[in-house]
Amino acid sequence: MSPPHNPDAEYFPVQCLSVDEVEKFLNELVEQLCTSIHVTPSMSKVLLYENKWAVQEVLWKYNEDADKLFVASRMKTLHPVSVKTKRDKFVCPVCVGPVAEELGITSLACGHCYCDNCWRCHFENKIKQGVSTELSCMALNCELLVPEEIVLSTVNKPILRKKYQQFAFREYIKSHPLLRFCPGANCTAVIKSKESLAKKAICTQCETSFCFKCGNDYHAPTDCATIKKWITKCADDSETSNYIAANTKDCPKCNIFIEKNGGCNHMQCLSCKFDFCWMCMGDWKAHGTEYYDCSKYRENPQNGSESARAREALKKYLHYYERWENHSKSLQLEKQTLDKIKERINSKVMTSKGTWIDWQYLLDSAALLAKCRYTLQYTYPYAYYMDNGPKKELFEYQQAKLEAEIENLSWKIERAETTDRGDLENQMDIAEKRRATMLQDFFHI
Amino acid sequence: MNNIATQRIKREFKEVIKSEELAKCSIKVDLVGDSYTELKGEIAGPPDTPYEGGIFLLEIKVPETYPFNPPKVRFMTKIWHPNISSVTGAICLDILKDQWAAAMTLRTVLLSLQALMAAAEPDDPQDAVVAKQYKEYPEIFAKTASHWTNVYAGGIICS
Ligand SMILES: [Zn+2]
Ligand SMILES: [Zn+2]
Ligand SMILES: [Zn+2]
Ligand SMILES: [Zn+2]
Ligand SMILES: [Zn+2]
Ligand SMILES: [Zn+2]
Repeated sequence: MSPPHNPDAEYFPVQCLSVDEVEKFLNELVEQLCTSIHVTPSMSKVLLYENKWAVQEVLWKYNEDADKLFVASRMKTLHPVSVKTKRDKFVCPVCVGPVAEELGITSLACGHCYCDNCWRCHFENKIKQGVSTELSCMALNCELLVPEEIVLSTVNKPILRKKYQQFAFREYIKSHPLLRFCPGANCTAVIKSKESLAKKAICTQCETSFCFKCGNDYHAPTDCATIKKWITKCADDSETSNYIAANTKDCPKCNIFIEKNGGCNHMQCLSCKFDFCWMCMGDWKAHGTEYYDCSKYRENPQNGSESARAREALKKYLHYYERWENHSKSLQLEKQTLDKIKERINSKVMTSKGTWIDWQYLLDSAALLAKCRYTLQYTYPYAYYMDNGPKKELFEYQQAKLEAEIENLSWKIERAETTDRGDLENQMDIAEKRRATMLQDFFHI
Repeated sequence: MNNIATQRIKREFKEVIKSEELAKCSIKVDLVGDSYTELKGEIAGPPDTPYEGGIFLLEIKVPETYPFNPPKVRFMTKIWHPNISSVTGAICLDILKDQWAAAMTLRTVLLSLQALMAAAEPDDPQDAVVAKQYKEYPEIFAKTASHWTNVYAGGIICS
């Protein structure tokens, strides 16, 4: 008997927390540390913030060498200056005036001493600039962090106190490797997971999905660093690639104007019935069912002049970018297809040709198509940065296979009335298997 | 202008006047008007650099929140240097941005600028054209910089 396997390698369990729940979660960690070693909650927060909230690791480092931990966590300095005890001769180095009788002077663990009025001005100035957890000492080159309790006991304007606490809370969440703000617009949820992985996290509040590790749109099979590089590159090169954006083309055979209105790249001219590929405008039949080679960029190995190489580099980039853009647009158009399917099902149900349950498989197939196209879109940045060689060849071969099956599926869904249900479901199965193949390396299945 | 800022600038002004750098004709600060919100700085081009022999004028604007925020400093004398805009005189220097500390003074700013003139940081450039020349054609860079010093910064400090 085969062991039970997880049918979905992309499954990533997360918890969706409210602001109050996160606060409680973080406070528990702070308390846990406070009760284990002798530090104030304020110091405990600095320690956890500086050590990625790993309580056990902090305890271990504390037992190993507490001073070293405090210095590394910017709570102590290696050579603290001697603390001023006599205040009568004290001149504050910042305001350089005599310190008024009623005004206190405060020094941090580094020994740097200033009058309380200057500390207050310093804190207020920094909070206005959005600084909270990184608020440090006023002395030149002193990195010592100011503990929360000192900030809150010095700053008395309610608005600034509130701002400081809000900013700090945000920073604590950002510094915790297992917590992420939901990137959804106007969503305040915080997503918590058990591991920091580049997997698809879905917010249960607003249904936004994103890569848990980097917070970008989910991007398997491309890794976080590569997708960042790719997105930056595309933003930089948007000028040169603008010309590809056109959504209309002429039929290569009869030159009649054709508008792309579904996601499928298999185009059929309504006028002359010519079947062609939207990407290369070539005869669809030539792409074959065996090998849809429109996805594969052929590199020209000629070593020419610098400008020729630059042209070649641009050509290579455009090849990948065009496909990336095209599948992204197709994905948008698939939404229209879904609406049309719903309309069609509705009219069938109204004329008593089955129930919504009978036609559910059509909606499922549209959902699967979107999922496959999404993965296909994200295979292009990955392929772009791959080194030439057998590994890349295999990847692009599989990519071409997936693309071909997606186009088949898209074609069948758009003409679902004339397609046999079994045939469509078979096609769904094939496409999903192809998709899983592309993700194999990414998920180490 | 708030109390701390005025108090500080008055003090710093005295500090520069009494400093040994002023005695050596290397830095100088003057008031512009009598409000202490704007000052004029002068730096002598450091020896053994293409700026040697030149006097460089600086515009110093003191913000309301001084010394908790850095002064705004700009070269008024045209200068050919990777970290200073050859067009606007804007300066790329960490202590004038996030590395500023309230305990720093005008004197330390001027001395840091003088040090920057002696040792550029071409990897953090303000002027990309100058920085590229500095890295790729150091001899041409030195010639251009000293030409600019002669044309724009000629003069003697301590009038
Ligand atoms: Zn003070
Ligand atoms: Zn300090
Ligand atoms: Zn959300
Ligand atoms: Zn990611
Ligand atoms: Zn046609
Ligand atoms: Zn094609």
